[in-house]
Amino acid sequence: MTQRLLIAAWTVALAAAAASLALVLSSNHEDDPAARAALIVGLGLIFVGCGLVATVRRPENRIGVLMAIVGFFWFLSSLAEANSATVYTVGTALSLLVYGAFAQLILSFPNGQLETPMARAIVVLAYFDVTVVQWAYMLTRDHIGNANRPCAECPDNLLAVTQQHWAGEAFISLQRGIGLALLWAAFAVLYRRFRNATPAARRSLAPVVITSTVTLVLIAAMLLAAWISAQATHTINWFVLVSFGTVPLAFLVGLLRIRLQRAGILRMIVESPDELSLGEAERGLREALDDPTLRLGYWLDEMHGYVNVRGKPFVIPEDTPTRVTTKVNYNDKPIAALLHDRALLEDPDMLEEVVGVVRMGLEKDRGERALRATEIRNRALLDAMPDLIFRISTDGRYLDYRAPSEYDLLVTEVIGRTVWQRLPEELAERIMAAGRRAVEERKVETLEYQLGFGEGMRDYEGRIAASGEDEFLLIVRNITERKLKDQELQASRARIVAAGDEERRRLERNLHDGAQQRLVSLSLSLRLAQTQLQKNPEVAEQLLDSAREELSQALEELRELARGIHPAILTDRGLDAALEALASRVPLPVEIERSETSLPPPVEAAAYYVVSESLANVAKYAQASFVRVKVAQLNGAAYVEVSDDGVGGADPAQGSGLRGLADRVGALNGTLEVESRPGEGTTIRAEIPLGVG
Amino acid sequence: MRVLIVDDHPSFRASARKLLESEGYDVVGEAADGAGALEAAEQLHPDVVLLDVQLPDLDGFEVAKRLAASDNAPEVILTSSRDSVDYGKCVGECGARGFVPKGELSGALLTTLLG
Repeated sequence: MTQRLLIAAWTVALAAAAASLALVLSSNHEDDPAARAALIVGLGLIFVGCGLVATVRRPENRIGVLMAIVGFFWFLSSLAEANSATVYTVGTALSLLVYGAFAQLILSFPNGQLETPMARAIVVLAYFDVTVVQWAYMLTRDHIGNANRPCAECPDNLLAVTQQHWAGEAFISLQRGIGLALLWAAFAVLYRRFRNATPAARRSLAPVVITSTVTLVLIAAMLLAAWISAQATHTINWFVLVSFGTVPLAFLVGLLRIRLQRAGILRMIVESPDELSLGEAERGLREALDDPTLRLGYWLDEMHGYVNVRGKPFVIPEDTPTRVTTKVNYNDKPIAALLHDRALLEDPDMLEEVVGVVRMGLEKDRGERALRATEIRNRALLDAMPDLIFRISTDGRYLDYRAPSEYDLLVTEVIGRTVWQRLPEELAERIMAAGRRAVEERKVETLEYQLGFGEGMRDYEGRIAASGEDEFLLIVRNITERKLKDQELQASRARIVAAGDEERRRLERNLHDGAQQRLVSLSLSLRLAQTQLQKNPEVAEQLLDSAREELSQALEELRELARGIHPAILTDRGLDAALEALASRVPLPVEIERSETSLPPPVEAAAYYVVSESLANVAKYAQASFVRVKVAQLNGAAYVEVSDDGVGGADPAQGSGLRGLADRVGALNGTLEVESRPGEGTTIRAEIPLGVG
Repeated sequence: MRVLIVDDHPSFRASARKLLESEGYDVVGEAADGAGALEAAEQLHPDVVLLDVQLPDLDGFEVAKRLAASDNAPEVILTSSRDSVDYGKCVGECGARGFVPKGELSGALLTTLLG
């Protein structure tokens, strides 16, 4: 509604009020002109005024227009005070319209819509009752006063065509009966709406519902009284009129409440400008809006989402009939989200105020809030770390510490002590030197050290970073286990290298002592045969015979050597054939139990060597009569087992063969087990994961 | 020419003996290790010792040095199934007269080296 239209409406209202005043005061059939004039003018202006204010504040809400209409109908009802029969007749015909409009007003509160068929039916019937039934009544009765009371002084009712008493009684009773039924129905609608409302909605409904209900009850009382006593009707009518006036006032109270709440929120922000935490803001908003379920979410850029007051992610739920989320933006960037009662939506001014206040309050402390969120995250990070953390001043005093357990504390008393009191002197000096460097040069220092505890030495890694002008953080991690593993790994690597060297030495010696010697002899025999060929052909033939013998032995020795370097059969024919070949060279029965497997080459080679070395050991030491070889694939690992029924007593710590096997299997993250109690045979088991290599 | 053959491999000793004898050398003895070689040399006074480098006890260079230091030191010809370059300067510094790869041994080569 434009401002000009508003001014025009108000001007019309004032004119109507003046006309009403003139009509009432000049009326020759009004018992109490002053009081009635005051009431009609007052009610009319209150309704129109409140209606216009409401329209300004919520242009899209028809409540304001409805209130203004009620006000104008009040002025219209004053026409019945006119002394002119024509004007009086028109006024009386329209005098009850205000009740219909009133019914529409209270049933469409607060959003200006008649939402249920029931409410719509009530309003339609109410208008029917105050118009058609009223006019029917006027056809049958003359001299009708205020509230349809008998009025002997009133001008002639120009509509009255008959004076049938029973007909008039019938219509007036019909009108009252319909009125009472509608009042009851309207009361029921209001009650149900109030009962189903959320607490916040109830708060905004309450003033209007209460004053409307009082008015409805008084109207009902007036209608009932009309059957009994005209005087009682007259008296109650005054109360009804006064009660009417409270309804728009209740509406004003609602408006005022918004201002009070806004003041409350502002006070909350202003009174704690520095300490207002998100939690406090949420509590303050809950209190100010009387919505205990309100939730405040705060936007964090680095998380690309909202966090709640405890710093946990705040996921915006789907809107429901009672709960909705309002996002608060600033310069098109999200700041916060409010999960609140839907009633707040019906109060757009209020919502806007709240959003404004939240925006202002949160934007103001944005930096601090981001800091706090960081703090919360940092704390969570600290809690998740298994490390010891000490805060130490540059003069060596412990300021604070955090230890997940006391296990790694050499001295359990920390705070107030100095590093020299808690640690060996040499270590204390190293830590202090690194700490001072960290503070001066602003970079992270690391050091490793050992501490002697009752059961032995433990290894630690310390990281030192400046945490202030004259203090640093020492973050300590127990790395004993890692060190042990490192050492074991290094030893294993060294053994693998040594085993490789040893293997090459053996090969060189075997070549030198075996095939090479044979070839040397062969060379000499051939040379000799050459010299004898002419003189002694028989000797030469003997020499060539022995040379052939040497040559075949040299070839055999070379084959044997080549097999030792790598079993060609494994590469060419696979593990099955290689195992069969191994078994065929062992001078005792070998049973091979083999399930379907598909092993990666390194695992296959390791499995082959486990079987090969084990069978060689069986042949050399076990004095067994039987060997069983089992190769299977189980739970993502190759499983190899070689068991015999021999003398047992094999010791994996003795002899490089088993040790070398363990290293080879270990290099593939596998394990090797030897079970060999004296007299109970020997079982060697290897498990090699397929994932490695 | 009296020759002492020192090698831990009997088959080489046998072949070498046949080969040298067929070319007119007089093989006066054989030894299988360094100690045996020194003892045999002292007893047999050979003119030439055909000395394998790799022996189970002392190595051929050591034996050659000791032989060179003895009275009536025999000429020493080192031999090996390895190449002389595998031994670097040892061959030249141990007092030996020369080196013969085992596969190339012959009386003629021996004569050339001694000549």
